[in-house]
Amino acid sequence: MTFVERPRSACALAGALSAISALPGVIPIVHTSMGCGGNLSGMNSFGAGYWGAGYCGGGSIPTSAITETEIVFGGNERLREEIESTLELIDGQLYVVVTGCMTEMIGDDTRGVTNDFTDDGKPVIALSTPSFKGDSYSGYEILLNGIFNGYLQKTEKKNPKLINVFGIIPAYDPFFRGDLEEIARLIRGLGLEANTFFTPDQTFENVKSAPSAALNIVFSRVWGTAFAGEFEKRHGTPYWVTDLPVGPEATDAFLTELAERAKVPKRRVKAVIDRENEIYYGYFERTADVFCDSDFKYYAVTVTNSNYAIPLARYAQNELGWVVLDAFVTDLLHDHQKDTLLSAFGESGIDEAGLLFETDTSAIARSITRRRPENRGERYFDAYSPLFILGSSLEKVTAQKRGAAQLSVSFPAFNRMIVDRGYAGYRGGLHLFEDIVGSLVFPKG
Amino acid sequence: MSYYEQAMPPVRDQRLKMGDSFAGSACELLECAKSGCMLQRNRFFWQTGACQMALTLMMAATVERSAIVMHGPIGCGTQLHALCVQGNKGKTKRGKLPVSPVWLSTNLQESDVIGGGENKLRLTIEYIDREFRPEIIFVVTTCAPNIIGDDVEEITRRVQEFSAAHVVSLHCPGFKSRVVASAYDAFYHGLLRHLPLEPEPWRDFVPRLSGPQGDLGQIQYEYIKSRTVNLWNATSIGPGDEEELTRLLDALGLKVRVFAEYSSADEFRFVSQAALNISMCNVHDDYMLSFLKEKFGTPYIIAGMPIGFSDTRRWLRSVAAHFDLEDEAERLADYEEAKAREAIAPFLQKIQGKRVLLCGGVVRVGTEAIFLKELGMDVLTFRAYHYDNGAEEIYERVAGEFPDTRIAVSNQLFEFCNQINKLKPDLVISHNGTQGTLAKLGVPSVQLFDVDRSFFGYGGVFALLQRIVFAFKNTRYQKRLSAHVKFPYRESWYGKDAFYYIKD
Repeated sequence: MTFVERPRSACALAGALSAISALPGVIPIVHTSMGCGGNLSGMNSFGAGYWGAGYCGGGSIPTSAITETEIVFGGNERLREEIESTLELIDGQLYVVVTGCMTEMIGDDTRGVTNDFTDDGKPVIALSTPSFKGDSYSGYEILLNGIFNGYLQKTEKKNPKLINVFGIIPAYDPFFRGDLEEIARLIRGLGLEANTFFTPDQTFENVKSAPSAALNIVFSRVWGTAFAGEFEKRHGTPYWVTDLPVGPEATDAFLTELAERAKVPKRRVKAVIDRENEIYYGYFERTADVFCDSDFKYYAVTVTNSNYAIPLARYAQNELGWVVLDAFVTDLLHDHQKDTLLSAFGESGIDEAGLLFETDTSAIARSITRRRPENRGERYFDAYSPLFILGSSLEKVTAQKRGAAQLSVSFPAFNRMIVDRGYAGYRGGLHLFEDIVGSLVFPKG
Repeated sequence: MSYYEQAMPPVRDQRLKMGDSFAGSACELLECAKSGCMLQRNRFFWQTGACQMALTLMMAATVERSAIVMHGPIGCGTQLHALCVQGNKGKTKRGKLPVSPVWLSTNLQESDVIGGGENKLRLTIEYIDREFRPEIIFVVTTCAPNIIGDDVEEITRRVQEFSAAHVVSLHCPGFKSRVVASAYDAFYHGLLRHLPLEPEPWRDFVPRLSGPQGDLGQIQYEYIKSRTVNLWNATSIGPGDEEELTRLLDALGLKVRVFAEYSSADEFRFVSQAALNISMCNVHDDYMLSFLKEKFGTPYIIAGMPIGFSDTRRWLRSVAAHFDLEDEAERLADYEEAKAREAIAPFLQKIQGKRVLLCGGVVRVGTEAIFLKELGMDVLTFRAYHYDNGAEEIYERVAGEFPDTRIAVSNQLFEFCNQINKLKPDLVISHNGTQGTLAKLGVPSVQLFDVDRSFFGYGGVFALLQRIVFAFKNTRYQKRLSAHVKFPYRESWYGKDAFYYIKD
């Protein structure tokens, strides 16, 4: 892999820490030097709409804080001491040792150390998360694998109604909490049960109950799919890979398919869909006056991770009637991941847009300019205007230079606060509309 | 060989007597530092902090028309996203264009860690130079390339031969020290080795002709230089503080230039053109200022932080002494102090007797504690994030003012929570990054520093008291929040001494 401009993802350790900070009862212990945990938490806690450090995140994260002495003589003993102190001091249900580059390079036997604690019946596991092996997205996968496919015991008892939701990545999907809540609401609306794991309503009991689920849904074409395959092998739970439904058209389809997979009667799902649409359009109908009178029809460019690329393009095209030009995918993908995403994009019914893989902010700006040229003083020029860029806060400058509108919907999002907002489902569809059009009416007052 | 000639800067653990784990009286602290026992201290339990790379980046991200190459795996430098946002705000407030530096990561992979990352580094610097044409390219090396032994100096030297930009290497192996203060030295080390610090003929001035006119010009220039001072800022020092001190030094007839944050390559060339270098923080600038003395013969003053009446006066007087302006400085201080004392009079009764705890940078907490005591606040204790001998002068005064107070050297949140829980202060004045924790503990708090606000000089005194009084005005937010937040520490922790985990 080559160099990266302003990476929109950090290291595997960052991804693991971000996910742990949203996982109730789970305590991280960072086995590396003093700065890693704090530096990464700064990004994790503030880069996704300022969602903060959490129960044992940020400056509270235990660390072995190794220095040159351990680099030379090894860090196993320092780690052992840190784990002992953590168990004594910090209240948690599972303690996860995550490593940084230094301790991986010097070859510390992290697992050997944690095994000694496990032998004493202490809930401590070790995961290898150095930066040079993967980025934040793979950190999320490593964490899921470690807990669900490593730590959790197999169970014979299955709950036919229980569904685990995976693939929505804390922080790197900045609306993960709101999205998970809406997905859970939809699942429960069909009379089923949902484990979202990373939302405030969950406890460690949800984690423990995961192996008994009847179905895993992975809302990502690339992240967590291999994990779900392993989960199926270990726990026997089948999985379904689909896109996050954003807006009523996508959500109707999602619920219909979910009902089939979970054997919910057709009549029941139809009633839910009808009721949800009634409410959605009860709100949406009234927005047409300002939306149409103000000519809020736009060309759209999206700049997001692979999880949000298809859902956003689909929403902009099918719900807003916008013309989506390009969908830039910013996470660093392997070729087979790109192929998977491309084929999903091809099937998603998005008319004109191309799916482009690019993460460098200036390269994205250049690409937009090259593919969608601006008028350079010609009298008659069919420009792609007006243009709306749905991207990260890095796209703010790109949009300003281009004279385009912009909303931060992907990581990093520094120019907005995100609390329980999500764009998934029916409610999310309204929220996304509110945010997009809100940014357009903002200058009016 | 002096430190300045070496490719790698020293960390403070090598250069100074310092530490990050201590609890005891100020006298014991001084003794422990002097004997070196401070260096040996450690903890059985640690929580994450930052590393020297983090603070070096804070400084580098403010430099105009620069670009940054992070030489390391992809996670290092991720905070630059936030630092660029912060830097743009600082630039705007100083009348500069809010343009963020472009930054790239060499994105070291497992194969690079095994095979070396030098080639990748060279390609990255060449790309950033070609693509973005910055004036300065900061090459920041992190832990991994330092462990595998990449020769970053050699790469930057080779690239420099073909680049119009100044290629400035900043060595930041985080594992070398738990104490982040080495970051300042690492940043300055790069500047002093790789940036031109003298004016360039035809660019910065027209070379003078020989003869009477040329001589007159030279005399005029020398006079201006003899009245020019460099004020050295820091990430914790905002434009409000820079303005306040510039205002005071202006009044003494001095011309002030501010370095090194928010400067450009063009400005750095004038670093050598001053009669005096003035630090605003004892533990921030000694490395750079003693270099400038060695190289250009410019004397320097490190005279504490101008916080509170007596320390502002002391600071002002030491600067003035250099120019034989002590009398003017005293009169200026008298005038300013009288005005400020009048302005803060209504605040005093509202803060007197209130029980306060301070937490943050070693110089700030010591200085501020002395000042708040003078104003009549009840200083329960304070915590310095680290200690090094730069702060000795202040802690000697602290020992006089607070002979029986048990103070601490700690940047650890678990110890902080324990202390708050036991001492139950009315107010905490604390380092940025801890205010959320304090609110969750139910305690009103004020920032120890904040670049959007003033702390230094007379304006700073007023602004600080205004904020303290404001903090007391409605504390419902903290009360409601704390009633609903669970901390990760077991109940038994609060029964133990806050510094139970410190190893002697």
